Amino acid sequence: MIILLMLIPLSLMLLALAIGAFVWAVRKGQFDDMETPALDILRDDPVDRRAAKDRDHAG
Amino acid sequence: MDGATQSFCCTGCAAAAQWIRSAELGDYYSLRSAAGARVDVDLPDLTGWDREDLLAEHAFPVAGGLEITLLTDGMRCAACAWLIDRALQREHGVFDAGANAVTGRVRIGWDPSQIRLSQLLQRLAMLGYRPYLAGGAVHERERLQERRRWLLRLGIAGLGAMQTMMLSEALFLDFHHHMAWSTRDFFRWVTFLVCTPVVFYAGWPFLAGCWRELKQRYLGMDTLVASSTLLAYLASMVETLRGGAHVWYDAAAMFVFLLLGARVLEQRARGIASSQVDALARARPSLAVRERADGTRESVPLTSLQVGDVVCVAVGETAPADGALHDAHAVFEEALLTGESRPVDKSAGEPVYAGTICRETPARIGITQVGSGTRLSQLTRLVEQAQAHRPPIARLADRVGSLFVAALLAAAVLIYVGWRWYDPSRAFEVTLSLLVISCPCALSLAVPAALAATHGALARMGVLSLRPDGLEGLAKATDVVFDKTGTLTQVQPTLVDVQTFAGMNPDEAIAIAAALERDSRHPIAAAFAAVAVTHHATGIRLHEGQGLRGRVAEATWYLGHARFAADRPDDGQLWLGDGHQAFARFMLQERLRPEAREAAQALRQLGLRIHVASGDGESAVQRLASRLPVEQAHARQTSEDKLALVRGLQEKGSVVAMVGDGLNDAPVLAGADVSIAMGEGAALAQRAADMVLTAPSLMRIPAAVELARRTQRIIRQNFAWAVGYNLLALPLAITGQVTPALAALGMAVSSLIVTTNALRLMRLKASKVSS
Repeated sequence: MIILLMLIPLSLMLLALAIGAFVWAVRKGQFDDMETPALDILRDDPVDRRAAKDRDHAG
Repeated sequence: MDGATQSFCCTGCAAAAQWIRSAELGDYYSLRSAAGARVDVDLPDLTGWDREDLLAEHAFPVAGGLEITLLTDGMRCAACAWLIDRALQREHGVFDAGANAVTGRVRIGWDPSQIRLSQLLQRLAMLGYRPYLAGGAVHERERLQERRRWLLRLGIAGLGAMQTMMLSEALFLDFHHHMAWSTRDFFRWVTFLVCTPVVFYAGWPFLAGCWRELKQRYLGMDTLVASSTLLAYLASMVETLRGGAHVWYDAAAMFVFLLLGARVLEQRARGIASSQVDALARARPSLAVRERADGTRESVPLTSLQVGDVVCVAVGETAPADGALHDAHAVFEEALLTGESRPVDKSAGEPVYAGTICRETPARIGITQVGSGTRLSQLTRLVEQAQAHRPPIARLADRVGSLFVAALLAAAVLIYVGWRWYDPSRAFEVTLSLLVISCPCALSLAVPAALAATHGALARMGVLSLRPDGLEGLAKATDVVFDKTGTLTQVQPTLVDVQTFAGMNPDEAIAIAAALERDSRHPIAAAFAAVAVTHHATGIRLHEGQGLRGRVAEATWYLGHARFAADRPDDGQLWLGDGHQAFARFMLQERLRPEAREAAQALRQLGLRIHVASGDGESAVQRLASRLPVEQAHARQTSEDKLALVRGLQEKGSVVAMVGDGLNDAPVLAGADVSIAMGEGAALAQRAADMVLTAPSLMRIPAAVELARRTQRIIRQNFAWAVGYNLLALPLAITGQVTPALAALGMAVSSLIVTTNALRLMRLKASKVSS
């Protein structure tokens, strides 16, 4: 059961890591708006669209 | 546009759409899930936003410029937020922009040396989003910080509780006590380490609340929660120290997590509700246009207005202070103060009140009262007083909770004394297990779980619940008092009858009137909006306060007061004539909301008595009362009368629910046991109310009453279960029969049952809403 002495501190470190990541995300405002950012990816960038069309013609 | 013809309701909307296309932001139309708001043709004057004093208070410096948070109305879905975001970021000099559709807030970071704030806001206004001031930079920051802090607490509670559970699992699974003492203690100390921040950081709101309640010498919900968490935690600590049989760290951590989750959900539902009402509060940079002695004009802050100044009010603007009219004639809409929707004619010297809206022509006002002396401020004060004197509804949760805590503490002391006398060596252990098993976890979950479920269901129904105790009042209500104008009836009048004279055909008369009124922005025009216009009117002239004149089908027509149109004594109706002879008389009436009857009947079936209190005259109120199943109808009620009426009912032992919309209803909304304001009504009325209806459907009121009653029922069931479980467990604990496993199992099962029972509120409601 000596392995526990390593595994449990390891799990605690992982926990600290998870909490640290969460705190960072909240502080950076990742959870402030849960709706608007989801729409961003639904729209193609107009410039990219033109580039993609050119590529299609070329290919 | 895109090869398809689109029709726009006005040039304002068309301009907005054109700009959106030209800026290649047309995806807005495919992303949006709700139709946009109508864009006003006249853009508001935004120069006030560039003032130094305003920016100093509401914006704060960041690297590269200034940042400000604004409120806006008209943001209906995430696509609006997306559009605002993109539109602002295209502007030169903007380095940061963000919009949040849920809270209606827009954040702008800009460089004042490159672009002025008013230019940016002009762009927003052009797209149909009018900017309003939020509560100041400091307040906005605090709001965000607060939200983040709760989220942090919840996250840490979740992660911590999960880990505590994992570690406790190892202890639980050691059925036959094969684990070495040292390993067991190692596990216990690690669990203690993980559990501590959960109890003291994540659970801090409960501990602080408990301390507050204790200082006020009253045992409430927070005391219950804090005492059960601390009990489980401290008892485990004691057991860890003395190497006792069992620890309950997992119970403490899970309990904090579940309660925090319920509270965050409930707060979110109410937070969204109140931030939407904030957005309706429409604080603008308060500026007034003052006329200098030489006739030139200047914009000044409201606070620097003094008695004796002359201010100019543009059409559609509100009067900044009480005063007397300087012009010969003006029209003001006083719906905010009196509830009367029809604009009131004023002649020189007549009083004009702050907050009333100028219609038809610009007006000049000589100020007689400013600040707290105005009628508007008096009403606001009345609201505050009424709120302070609201009769308290004893909260079921607090009553049961305090009884329970008191009984539990008494029992613990008795048992400790009893066991000391009977078997001193086991006294501590038995008392501890009694406290743990009767730990009021389920009891303190009973209310928050039910409230979280109900607030979510209410928001889906279109009822925003602003105050926590509104639900309980609604469930107990015995009487409903309705305001008339704007609540039971729609604000715009409808045409109910046409009388014709001199051989005029009624249809022809309506067609002529519709042609004349077509381009008028007068409220009466709404009555003719549904009529198909077959004639074309030319040369329309507006005669202020009298009516319209124009040429239709080769003849000159006058539409307005009897004196103006037909040279007869004025009777308050709308006449059509040629200036001397009458041709038609239109009876205009407020229209009952289509669902008003059904809603009133539904409320009656729920056993509620219905009253109507209105500021209008006797005949109008009686006409309305005859069409609805009402108990009593009161006419000519001022704000004070309405409040007295509600007080009278309350003295007779009734619990009164008030439904209203106007500013004149605000004091009575605040004074009633529970109050509901209409979403289209005055901002102050919404501030005073417990709930706001977002959609103007009165049917939501009986639905909300039903939901509130069901919530109350569920809470009572939850209490019954939690108390029953404790009564069952108590004798076992007293006799020292409770094994640790049994205590843990009992606690978990009873909490689970209570939560599941509360979740039924959500499920039932969802099916009802869709039907």
